[in-house]
Amino acid sequence: MKYLVMVQGAQADYDAMNGRASEQSPAWSEQELRAMFAYMNAINDDLAESGELIDAQGLVEPARTRFVTADADGRPVVTDGPYGETKEVLAGYWVLDCANLERVTEIAARVAQCPQPAGAPVYPVVIRPVDESGGGDLGGGELG
Amino acid sequence: MLRLHAPQVLGALVRRYGHFDTAEDAVQEALLAAAGQWPREGVPANPRGWLIRVASRRLTDALRSEEARARREETARRLEPREPRAAPADDDTLTLLFLCCDPVLPPAARIALTLRAVGGLTTAEIARAFLVPEATVAQRISRAKAKLRAAGADRPFHPPGPQDRDARLASVLQVLYLVFNEGYTATSGPALHRADLAREAIRLTRAVRRLLPHEGTVTGLLALMLLTEARSAARTGPDGELIPLDEQDRTRWDRAAIAEGTALVEEALAEGPPGPYQLQAAIAALHDEATGPDTTDWPQILALYDVLLTTTPDDPMAALGRVVALAMVEGPEAGLAALTALEPRLPHSHRLPAVRAHLLERTGALSAAADAYRTAARATDSLPERRYLQMRAARLDP
Repeated sequence: MKYLVMVQGAQADYDAMNGRASEQSPAWSEQELRAMFAYMNAINDDLAESGELIDAQGLVEPARTRFVTADADGRPVVTDGPYGETKEVLAGYWVLDCANLERVTEIAARVAQCPQPAGAPVYPVVIRPVDESGGGDLGGGELG
Repeated sequence: MLRLHAPQVLGALVRRYGHFDTAEDAVQEALLAAAGQWPREGVPANPRGWLIRVASRRLTDALRSEEARARREETARRLEPREPRAAPADDDTLTLLFLCCDPVLPPAARIALTLRAVGGLTTAEIARAFLVPEATVAQRISRAKAKLRAAGADRPFHPPGPQDRDARLASVLQVLYLVFNEGYTATSGPALHRADLAREAIRLTRAVRRLLPHEGTVTGLLALMLLTEARSAARTGPDGELIPLDEQDRTRWDRAAIAEGTALVEEALAEGPPGPYQLQAAIAALHDEATGPDTTDWPQILALYDVLLTTTPDDPMAALGRVVALAMVEGPEAGLAALTALEPRLPHSHRLPAVRAHLLERTGALSAAADAYRTAARATDSLPERRYLQMRAARLDP
């Protein structure tokens, strides 16, 4: 079974990692950054070793977000970020191929224990099973 | 071992029959057959001959059925058995490279086709190395082959004439350089495959050099790759973070690669007016020969950057490298002044604020340096680089 495992964060958390503290997030020290990188690398190495890792990416700060809609003529209308300071968004994800939901829950719990500075906000790690039934049939099949 | 035979088998087929696109499919089928059969039945006495025989059969079958459909007399004539010419197999490798790097193809297609046809990598391996879906690579390759066929580029199969040769060689070297950089920079994804890519680029560049031993640009590119790759073990720390040149543990550099690269640089510089590859290799050699940043010959490096910028005046990365050298020769203030002049040419690069941060740190302006490190960290999409810059900034905080 394939699962999307997501971690969340707000612009304030990215700023904190870049040394700018706010009410929600104390600034990270070099030692704290180092501990977090090492912890996450170890998880990724283990998942690559076990063959469960399909893809994993960290996303850049929410302030570099771009929103795209289309106007009446189909031309792109672009709005740049940033998100509000406190709104949490997707910060990174793993696509994993695991035996079952118990196993991926175990991995998510390990991610949730990643070291961070005292007082930093705690976000839940989110698991979403990937729909592997074949989205291409939706239009003609289930919905049609 | 199969990978080593792939270009020679493909070259033999294309030389004999033409039809690069169909021949390439036939070789892939023969390689698959070998991968299934050899482990069970043992490797044949003449593996390359076996592969050529099997692939030829597949190719003639494919062309016959195509011919039956299209009823092309031309194809029938082409299928008359001909004695293979006794040409050295390596010639085919070079001709294949020239074919795959045809300037009518977009660079991404040239890279994919080269890695598959000459490097012998599978579509899946190429996809993994470039972090794109396998279907994208497959499509890129099949479009590239169709385009070559439409342009009539795959026949006759012989090395290009003198007028095309330099342009084609430049394209070949650019492809190899891009493959190497993709492997060396390791921007994201599992590092292992990227290291493979750098090694593959070196292997192919060695092959080109065997065929064109007195071509300064080829020698220079090989030297540049070896001298850069020689530092790879010292380039990242235990947590995968980036370690800059001046802090690397130089005992972990590959001395044999440095010796080979340095000898090649000397040879390349003797072979005529130096181009960008030779000059970059010469700069890399000066870094590699020094025991540390203090014993590096910065005036010489600065002089080489000045020459490099006369050959590639529009290369902002070369201009940035010159700023670093200038700061080492004349001091960080001179570097900072030169950096400001460069700013309009590199508005979005994270490297410029990163260099600024290092120079500010050296002048003692620690708070401004931390800000510049953070500006650079926000601007890079590379995780190892972002981590390195964040840690540098955090280190400067009181």
